[in-house]
Amino acid sequence: MGMGSETRVGIIGVGCTKFGVRDDATIQEIAFEAVREALQDAGVTREDIQLSVVGTAGTRSYELMPAVPINEYCGFAGKGPIRVEAACATGSAAVYTAYTSIRAGIADLAVAIGFEKMNEVDTPTSLAVGGRSGSYLWEFHQYGTTFPGYYAMLAAAHMARYGTTDKQMAMVAVKNHRNAAKNPKAQFRKEITLEKAVGSRYVAYPLRLFDCSPISDGAAAAVLASEEKIKELGIDNVVWIEGVGYSSDTANMPKRADYAGLKASVEASQMAYRMAGIDDPLKQIDVAALHDCFTIAEIMAYEDLGFCRKGEGGKFIEEGESDFGGKLPVNTFGGLKAKGHPLGATGVAMIYEIVKQLREEAGDLQAELKNYKGLTHNIGGTGHFGWVYILGV
Amino acid sequence: MSRSEETGVMESRTFVLRHKLPIARVEKYWKGLEEGKIYGTQCKACGAKFSPPQADCSYCYSSDMEWVEISGEGVIECFTQLYSFPQGFEFAGKPYVIAVASFGDFRIMGWFVSEKEGEVSLPQVGMKVKAETGQDETGVWKVYFRSVE
Ligand SMILES: [Zn+2]
Repeated sequence: MGMGSETRVGIIGVGCTKFGVRDDATIQEIAFEAVREALQDAGVTREDIQLSVVGTAGTRSYELMPAVPINEYCGFAGKGPIRVEAACATGSAAVYTAYTSIRAGIADLAVAIGFEKMNEVDTPTSLAVGGRSGSYLWEFHQYGTTFPGYYAMLAAAHMARYGTTDKQMAMVAVKNHRNAAKNPKAQFRKEITLEKAVGSRYVAYPLRLFDCSPISDGAAAAVLASEEKIKELGIDNVVWIEGVGYSSDTANMPKRADYAGLKASVEASQMAYRMAGIDDPLKQIDVAALHDCFTIAEIMAYEDLGFCRKGEGGKFIEEGESDFGGKLPVNTFGGLKAKGHPLGATGVAMIYEIVKQLREEAGDLQAELKNYKGLTHNIGGTGHFGWVYILGV
Repeated sequence: MSRSEETGVMESRTFVLRHKLPIARVEKYWKGLEEGKIYGTQCKACGAKFSPPQADCSYCYSSDMEWVEISGEGVIECFTQLYSFPQGFEFAGKPYVIAVASFGDFRIMGWFVSEKEGEVSLPQVGMKVKAETGQDETGVWKVYFRSVE
């Protein structure tokens, strides 16, 4: 395969389970559900897979070393697996591992599997795992941080500096619930009113119940192949990875320079934009999946990814710019907020949703395509990891 | 309803995780809290400042560090009040307030507490605070912020 550096990598198949409380299935069974859909979608069989990458944030499941059990169950024994962890951005890192293996010419057909079963433990345990996403000794051990608490601190900083309001944050929830109502894979298929969202109880001030994504179970899978392999297989329904960017930030919150945005989002997006030749995301990108684990996260992402100026994210949602018919529809599938956020699955599930959009298979949730380019933005922890993909056909 | 009573699921064996925390190289920080002092570290080679403290410099890779006391008036940078408690913090009993405040070049995390004992009040971003140390009900030493406004 020569140098490999010129090899384009395409996504030829995607799969995603229903998100929600999945007490009906083990991690092996939900991974299988997603992988079977992805293989069928790609028109390949398990024998065609040369490398499997298994992503999970982990700890909440009874299976602490889950890559091999999943690989066995999916019939991939001997094809890897590589287990990947990048907190809530695990899925994006799993796709990257498959992508780079193909770019390097080591594999020419690989599968990235992301999954999480968060409901195997109770809520206080789940909060204690998420609360360890910073630096245990200096944060959780002393202060009992939780994951909603971390984002709530960013929300407080953003509200104080830019005047972002409860109502603007709630508008993100209302939009994403409205979209999720039409997504058969979503955890919450119910619209909510602005009044209900702003009137809900606090989980971590200033974030209320409806500002938070749920505790979710689910899996997603993507089959990636080299351009050469795609030609050999005669596949023409391909979505190409045109750009990818990554960054990260400090584990310890006191070591951050600022709290009203995520440096990892800014840097990851700039890296991906450079690679894909994006200099005006609003004009060049048709549809985006942004990391809305909390409503404030979607508002900060509008700004950090350059959809609007810093501090104007609240106005961006208020003016409908991220809705259908706006400047750039965001989270048309319901977002993490309402489709659900099974940590390790999320990054792969975002790819699944944008692939469906770019292939014009999103049904009632189809965005209007002009350039046939989409974006995924996936954050791990509180901006601890940042990943952005630009996809195109 | 306990898990074993739900249909279609069984309960796993109990699995307890308690870890040893190696604090030998930053022990002065923990001792400091017991004496009412809060310490960061500064690299003698390149001048970089660290809070929370660390024994090695992430910038120039020197391990020649000195302890610097963090004191004076701080400013609240961000905060939250938690209504849902994680496992291990059930003792809190009522919503607690976590904040990050800056003291010159150092930032520290702490629990914000009201002047009046037992009363819960919220800080504001930009509020001036002083930092004190103390133990919570589980015996863990930590930083507490109080308003000086
Ligand atoms: Zn140094």
